[in-house]
Amino acid sequence: MDNPSYVTLSRQSGLQKAMTVIANNIANMSTNGFRREGVIFAEMYAPIPGQPDTMAMTAARVRLTDMSAGPLTTTGGTFDFAIDGPGFFTIETPDGPRLTRDGAFARNIDGELVTLDGNRVLDDGGAPIFLPPDSASIAVAADGTIDADGQALGALGVVEVADPKTLIREASGLFATDDVLLPSETSRILQGRLEQSNVDPVIEMTRMIEVQRSYELGSGFADREDDRIRNLVRTLGQQV
Amino acid sequence: MRALNIAATGMQAQQMRVEVISNNLANMSTTAYNTRRAEFADLHYQQVQRAGTVNSTTGVLLPAGVQLGLGVRASAVSMNVAQGALMQTGGELDLAIEGNGYLEVLMPNGTSSYTRDGALKRDPDGLIVTSDGFSVIPEITIPQDATGITVNANGEVYASFDDQVDDQLLGQFSLVSFSNQKGLEALGGNLYRETAASGQPVVGDPGVDGRGTFRQGYLEESSVDAVREITELIEAQRGYELNAKVITAADQMLGATTQLR
Repeated sequence: MDNPSYVTLSRQSGLQKAMTVIANNIANMSTNGFRREGVIFAEMYAPIPGQPDTMAMTAARVRLTDMSAGPLTTTGGTFDFAIDGPGFFTIETPDGPRLTRDGAFARNIDGELVTLDGNRVLDDGGAPIFLPPDSASIAVAADGTIDADGQALGALGVVEVADPKTLIREASGLFATDDVLLPSETSRILQGRLEQSNVDPVIEMTRMIEVQRSYELGSGFADREDDRIRNLVRTLGQQV
Repeated sequence: MRALNIAATGMQAQQMRVEVISNNLANMSTTAYNTRRAEFADLHYQQVQRAGTVNSTTGVLLPAGVQLGLGVRASAVSMNVAQGALMQTGGELDLAIEGNGYLEVLMPNGTSSYTRDGALKRDPDGLIVTSDGFSVIPEITIPQDATGITVNANGEVYASFDDQVDDQLLGQFSLVSFSNQKGLEALGGNLYRETAASGQPVVGDPGVDGRGTFRQGYLEESSVDAVREITELIEAQRGYELNAKVITAADQMLGATTQLR
């Protein structure tokens, strides 16, 4: 393949990746606490074989997670929590502690607060949270302190990371990080509410159309490039 | 093209949401029905390029890699266990439960199931049964010549007679609580069964250890909020359409590829 084809190919495969990301955003438009993703295209220089020069190509190799808050919905559920602010809930998983914005929790048979996947939710000291099954009312205050029938039971662990770009996405709305976890001072807990996905369908649709058109433009370009080479070969052939 | 499969998972999720909403709406008038809500979670992420790897051409450490999400799955259909509104019926065997707790019901096969539907009846022998004719545990039989039945907040059932001044105590209903109500398995007919997730049933007197109390002459209404359900229905429908649009767009991109010479 010649250079224009390589450049087009790098762009087309990047656009396909962008389409995958948009499809995932739209598929998760009803996932609690979901954070939409974007792809950033970057210029990439590749050496041209046999020449000292380089050629510029494009690569979609940086992802971007939009950490802006999603809209809140009122559910009234005792174990439904939303975070107003930049914090994350801390969850214990078999692979180590994880962070999440999805506050749809439940109480398991041992009385522990768990996610809907059964992973334990941790308190501000990193220990599981036990809620007595015989308590009639469980109230969680804005600062995360849990109150069961008037008795204080510790507080939900709400943390922040110094650099949100270090967060690695995992399935089920979980984030892994090697960064230092700091208690979140500015986050408030809202009981009986859930944070929805921050996917904006209008933006995603617009981007999708954009990507689709760019892709068609790219294939049109590849087509014309093919025509150009064909004509070149034909013209050169006629000279002989 | 992964976008096709991803959009398909999105359509499946929205379709399931519509199914949950339609069941909620269908049960708008079912006594003590708890609203269900479909919850979703994102699927596995494919690590195309890990964060922290070195760019081969420039030697620079990548600050953030490329991760491609692969769609959505249903994580749970959770039950909203909040108390429904109480409706006055005046029926002497209409018992609403205020607060936590279930009535234990003896099934024909000898197992126990649990209900919050307190629209009780009496069978030909005077035994107190549910609307479907299953007896409530502990079994209480009302004598044929009783002229009135009173059930107090603690579930004590008294019968009054024409020829007696004092009411006669016939028995006391107990309430059953679970450590995780959301883990109960719905059987239909307003009945639930214990599961490994719900925990063991804990039987006790009403009003004790966080258990609720009875209110005679009332029934607990369904907790379905029609306005909310319709709003969710519109959202789900639009979500379905959006995912279908992604399939169209991904298909057209594939078409553009196949038309390349």
